[in-house]
Amino acid sequence: MSYLTYFSDNLSQIISLLMEHIELTFLAVAVAIVIGVPLGIFISYVKKLGKPVLALANVMQAIPSMALLGFMIPFLGIGTKPAIVMVVLYSLLPIIKNTYIGIQSINKETLEAATGIGLTKWQILTKIQIPLALPVIMGGVRISAVSAVGLMTLAAFCGAGGLGYLVYAGIRSINNAQILAGAIPACLLALFIDYLLGIVENLVTPKYSRRKEKTSFFKSPSFQKTILFFAILLIVLLFIYPLFTHKEAAKEITIGSMDFTEQEILSYMINDLIEENTDIVVNQKLSLGSSSIVLSALQRNEIDMYIDYTGTIYGSVLKHEPNSNVSEVYEISKKEMKEQYNVNILSDLNFNNTYTLAVKKETAERYNLKTISDLSVVASNLTFSPTLTFMERNDCWLGLQKAYPINFKEVIPIDGAPRYLALINGESDVIDAYSTDGLLKKYDLVVLEDDKSFFLPYQAIPLVNDELLEKYPEVIPLLEKLSTVLNDDVMRSLNYQVDEERKKPAEVAHEFLTANYLITTK
Amino acid sequence: MIRFKDVSKSFGSKKVLKNINLEFENNTITCLIGESGCGKTTILKMINRLIEPTSGTITINNKNILKQNPIKLRRSIGYVIQQTGLFPHMTIKENIEIIPKLLKIKPEKITAKTLELMNMVDLNPDEYLDRYPGELSGGQQQRVGIARAFATNPDIILMDEPFSALDPVTRSSLQDELIQIQSQYKKTIIFVTHDMDEAIKIADKIAIINEGEVIQYDTPEMILKNPINDFVKSFVGPKKIWTSPELIKVKDIMIEHPITANLEYSMFYCLNKMRMAKVDTLMVVNKDNVLKGILFASTLKGLPTKNKTAKDYMEKDFVVTHPNDSIVDLLSLIDEHRITTLPVVDKNGHLKGLITRSTLLTYMSQQFLKEDEE
Repeated sequence: MSYLTYFSDNLSQIISLLMEHIELTFLAVAVAIVIGVPLGIFISYVKKLGKPVLALANVMQAIPSMALLGFMIPFLGIGTKPAIVMVVLYSLLPIIKNTYIGIQSINKETLEAATGIGLTKWQILTKIQIPLALPVIMGGVRISAVSAVGLMTLAAFCGAGGLGYLVYAGIRSINNAQILAGAIPACLLALFIDYLLGIVENLVTPKYSRRKEKTSFFKSPSFQKTILFFAILLIVLLFIYPLFTHKEAAKEITIGSMDFTEQEILSYMINDLIEENTDIVVNQKLSLGSSSIVLSALQRNEIDMYIDYTGTIYGSVLKHEPNSNVSEVYEISKKEMKEQYNVNILSDLNFNNTYTLAVKKETAERYNLKTISDLSVVASNLTFSPTLTFMERNDCWLGLQKAYPINFKEVIPIDGAPRYLALINGESDVIDAYSTDGLLKKYDLVVLEDDKSFFLPYQAIPLVNDELLEKYPEVIPLLEKLSTVLNDDVMRSLNYQVDEERKKPAEVAHEFLTANYLITTK
Repeated sequence: MIRFKDVSKSFGSKKVLKNINLEFENNTITCLIGESGCGKTTILKMINRLIEPTSGTITINNKNILKQNPIKLRRSIGYVIQQTGLFPHMTIKENIEIIPKLLKIKPEKITAKTLELMNMVDLNPDEYLDRYPGELSGGQQQRVGIARAFATNPDIILMDEPFSALDPVTRSSLQDELIQIQSQYKKTIIFVTHDMDEAIKIADKIAIINEGEVIQYDTPEMILKNPINDFVKSFVGPKKIWTSPELIKVKDIMIEHPITANLEYSMFYCLNKMRMAKVDTLMVVNKDNVLKGILFASTLKGLPTKNKTAKDYMEKDFVVTHPNDSIVDLLSLIDEHRITTLPVVDKNGHLKGLITRSTLLTYMSQQFLKEDEE
């Protein structure tokens, strides 16, 4: 089975992502407990605040998680911070609510007896209320923790890693084995956490009876405590381990990347190039998300470099009108990015990943399509499934309609790789595509020529911060060397190797560099 | 001594206590009794400051409790409520020892005290100390509640309807237990109840509360015999006294001025006096009214009366009873000696009254007659 093969081939990556996932989830839930439990206790004392606080927590949960995450990136940057904050905000409601309910549901007479025999408020809280409410509180923690495991898959969107990385990479490249490699461990992790917290819940439930019920070995307290002990040990090790292994490298740069195959391959190439040829240590932050997220990470110096495309910079960052002059677009982008964003654009990598429209071979043959102008004639018979970004941009759909009078029968936007599936399944006839996309090759699609040169050039360009330019100028010639071996076809075939042949991006990058004598080792 | 002086309490505009003046005597059990919502529990909870008065002062041994640290005050006062007052997540031992431990009393001392208390409430320490309240019956839980209240050896113990949720048999045995414990420990116990039988059984004094006021504050006996107004009367109930016959004293039912004769009276005079008064016995006393003998009409028949005086024919061997003996004692005395006439004398032998079969019968039939009237 392809899943098992994928799983065994990528075991070490899956395990490290799983560990990352556990670490993130644990941190998020721990923070949620630290905030939620005291807050729940607080509102059970100050009843006036109960409703507003619970309402606020409710609203938090109602915000779509994706939106919440996107909303926080401008404030918190990329990486673990926004992911943890998002999951914390989501986890708060069940914890606050259960704490509140747990404290509220304690028998009034028990509390009065406690006051009456002379316990202080603090003693009542710690000796009576919390122990009695603990099972309910733990129930809330359990709900939070289980949903946090699922939510944490979104962490991959802001470069925090975790199992979501595999899920989204899999969705992007239509690789079910990869999706499952992320989803199944996440699912098992959720079940296991549920089991562990079930044990904790059981252990903290006050014993109202001394009588021991006959239980099976797996339910015996000693067995449960052992499991719990090892789980805690694992988590502790997870947090301690990096302290011993992480060496602060003297020379270190961080490369970011957007969330598609080409970006990953390029990232690995640059990584290998630099590490092979210099003494600089490279950190990779893969799949941080869209261009704007990665750009903001660069501005915050969370990363030192990433690869973007001139068209994106020119059109959507700098908001210029469409322009098909390649060198003009490059020069204006370079100048204005330095002025407005204090970001440096290096010379391009010699391939153009522009937008294009693609159709199935049969469709092309049937309507005799070669150019977009050909398409505009028959468009009224066809359904178009562009990405959401394509729909919104002036230099894409909006401008395209003006450049070519083109009217489709229907326009159904579908994001990411699934639109290829829609095309293959015949639910859609035309999609937008990137000219270097490996999926074009995989599905043997016909790319229509932009005969009116409407689309902006999308030359791949490295964006770097000042620090890299000043401290590590030796990187620049390496990138220039890389550009000598790349072009559109090369890039598309590299993408194809990953998307269709299921090779790992790192492998493809390494093999390519070795074949072109840019690096010498194995 | 716990003293309430002009204590009032309002919850919002509702006055729940109106100018309460009460003194709870040391080493006695005082019951606060009344219908629900009358303010009896409010009074109790003011003593350990669970409720603060709106106005007035409360003193314990002349010290104003409102000026004391409430935590310290509460720890020096035992507090028992219904069995929900035990902490369900703590063992019996932990429940009893919670306050002593917070007071940092030496562990050996705590353990010894706990054992003593378990024995006091008649629970086997080995069997129950490590159990949880939920495993015990209601009565057992309540025993633990009492033990916990005694844990710091307080002088004052407050009990808020501690037995009201128990079945009658258990309740009764716990009441007995409480009386027995009190005879040994002599605490100042304030006991809230709505059950008059319970109050009469255990209380040294009863305060009847209605609508935030003390209606009558007296011994159970006095309240039963002299209900101050119709409210108390109806609260006590007409037959209530018969549930506590030991409270019916000889002095309450005796004929207070029996027909007497002096030792030196002539027999002729005596017989004539009996005939005139329509009695068949005559109490023979000396000039100080000390009972010396009894003349029985039945034994005098046919005897010569000439020159004879009362002291010649009187029965000198007789059984007496005392004014404070109860009707129960009286009945057993009558039963034992098969007699119909019992003189009542004080400890110096002075004649105080007389009990006859007919006085007893008249008195005892009252309860049935009264019932018919209702």
